[in-house]
Amino acid sequence: MPRKGFVKYRPVAPDPIYSSPLVEKFIHCMMWDGKKAVAEKIFYGALQKVQERSGEDALRVFKKAVENVKPAMEVKTRRVGGANYQIPIEVEPERRASLSIRWLIGYARHRGEKGMTERLAGEFLDAYNNRGAAVKKKEDTHRMAEANRAFAHYRW
Amino acid sequence: MGELSQTPAKQQYYGTGRRKTSVARVFLRPGSGNFAVNGRSLEGYFLSETQRVLIRYPLQAAEMLDKMDVLITVRGGGINSQAGAARLGIARALLTYNAELRPQIKKLGLLTRDSRGKERKKYGRKGARKRFQFSKR
Repeated sequence: MPRKGFVKYRPVAPDPIYSSPLVEKFIHCMMWDGKKAVAEKIFYGALQKVQERSGEDALRVFKKAVENVKPAMEVKTRRVGGANYQIPIEVEPERRASLSIRWLIGYARHRGEKGMTERLAGEFLDAYNNRGAAVKKKEDTHRMAEANRAFAHYRW
Repeated sequence: MGELSQTPAKQQYYGTGRRKTSVARVFLRPGSGNFAVNGRSLEGYFLSETQRVLIRYPLQAAEMLDKMDVLITVRGGGINSQAGAARLGIARALLTYNAELRPQIKKLGLLTRDSRGKERKKYGRKGARKRFQFSKR
């Protein structure tokens, strides 16, 4: 962490198949132990499954899925006069994308299907239709923000 | 796909490319988009589409994909860095063919030797940066 200011976001190179930085970012987030080839295989395999099952453009489904999981508001804990309050705040655009990606991957991993490819495909299709655990997580986050609306004036 | 002979052609443009510990020698010959990498086809040598996209990129940028045959010999390093080395080699060879492409290719960062490499291990450390496990007693 820099002592002054904040770290600038660095652009991510577009992925080789769809030329989309979002896809590349997603693959990076999913990767374990630097094994990019494995992560790519899983991701592109999942998109293929999405294509087969929905008959729609897989990239569009993926983008819509990420969009549907992006939260608009979240709560942040802040100490005011000895008490901790959950303060609702708006989520920055970059953080929105990061959270969306993180949740999609996280909840895909907890699904019942066999193999990450199947799980990812399932989670994408669910999120595309505004269903699934990742979308539920977003809604929960929104509910938390809404419930703590009273503390909104503590924003800093 | 046609065979590419290993013997020098009448007209060819050469470029060297390096990445990490890979070194690629690239010969461009006017042709129809055939590739030969260490005596194998592009698909036969670079198995992942990701790597092939990397290699086609400079030719694609110059709109020469179907106008050149490419002969590559590449040694050292891993497959991905070999693909990166070949890419740099192709970009450089393109310049010897037509120097006017330079601004266009330079802008895409294709002429920059990726200087990242393995950092050496240091004594007193487990790796380049990682310390040995700390034990209080």
